[in-house]
Amino acid sequence: MADREFDYESTLEACAHGDERAFQALYRQEAGQLLGLAISMLGRRDIAEDCLHDAFVRIWQHAGRFRRELGSGRAWVHSILRYRALNALRSGGRHAEVDDEFIERVLDDSPQAEAQTLEQSEQRLLRRCLQRLERPRRHPILLAFYRGLTHEQIASRLSTPLGTIKGRIRAGLRALQECLQA
Amino acid sequence: MIPHDPEERRARIGEYLLGLLDEQDAVEMRQLLEEDENAARMALDWERHFLELSDQVPAQTPSPALWPRIRQSLGLHDAPRSSPLANWWNSLLTWRLTAAALAMALLVAVLMPLLRAPDITGERYTVVLQQPGEAAKPGWVIQVGRDGTLALDPLVADQVPEGRALQFWTLIDPADGPRSLGLVEAGQPLRLPAEQIGAVQAGQLFELTLEPAGGSPYNRPSGPVLYIGRAVLASAN
Repeated sequence: MADREFDYESTLEACAHGDERAFQALYRQEAGQLLGLAISMLGRRDIAEDCLHDAFVRIWQHAGRFRRELGSGRAWVHSILRYRALNALRSGGRHAEVDDEFIERVLDDSPQAEAQTLEQSEQRLLRRCLQRLERPRRHPILLAFYRGLTHEQIASRLSTPLGTIKGRIRAGLRALQECLQA
Repeated sequence: MIPHDPEERRARIGEYLLGLLDEQDAVEMRQLLEEDENAARMALDWERHFLELSDQVPAQTPSPALWPRIRQSLGLHDAPRSSPLANWWNSLLTWRLTAAALAMALLVAVLMPLLRAPDITGERYTVVLQQPGEAAKPGWVIQVGRDGTLALDPLVADQVPEGRALQFWTLIDPADGPRSLGLVEAGQPLRLPAEQIGAVQAGQLFELTLEPAGGSPYNRPSGPVLYIGRAVLASAN
């Protein structure tokens, strides 16, 4: 979970200057959440740990490329993990053999859930916008995010024509960005 | 082709980050993100929003061996160093510490007989791991030395089915749930350093579970418990 006190940007800048303590602090802070995400995408702890290893190696080697004026340090760290995980999925030609019950639970459709999410406002912007998206557009986006599936895999998982899935994801992302910027 | 219209472009960047562009478009996108600050900003903006989704996944404790492995891959073998600026400062500090250490050494030499408090050397613990409900079928034995290192030794050679693995866990506080200590090879001993185990307490639970190859996909055991046992004090002195 994000820790509002933890200064990701300064930590990455310290890493860029070779500060190993900062690197270790970043690992302590974020490795658990990153591993959770990697296991969600890759389905296997050992492959997910390899991916986490590769991500941290890259974070240390490329910390100098992070620029705080371009965005959040935590987002940068997560983008590196996701990139490695997607690479592992695409090159391994496999995908997580795990059930998608979790994805169904991520966004509760009920009005109570939406009210609750609204109360938590700011911090829940994306989830609020996803909740407003109708399920056929939302579900493929979540499958891509949490399972790293390709268009083809999503189409087959949801028994929906490929062209339809591509269209829904693109339209879904457009709707999301409008909602996020509103 | 990456669209020029900013909103179209933003959506396409979102698709890229979800891994949904074909290889040719992805190559083009990577190049754009390298060269175009606005595009890079859009990408980090998407990723910042995606953090909300990442945070819905329960965090998982990496196995203790992972951090040393990362350091080794990066050739970081020594104790953590600080930044060059901090190094300069530390070198001043080193002098002060050296002087302080000398003073301390003298003090310790004088006070040594008084300093032999019992908690300087840790306790030793033994855990006999048995099949659940079978008091007379020990399968593995754990010994925790005074220095806190843990040795797990097999007493039997388990037959692990194809596609499965043995995973080693400990439970310190039920509120925190079990913590993975990594995968174990059937019939093979395992050694773990003290810093990976933490302080062991009497009654602490250890167990081996049967998991999918690669370990439990969750941050807790997902398969049956094969062996379980509690730490008992091996020597009070």
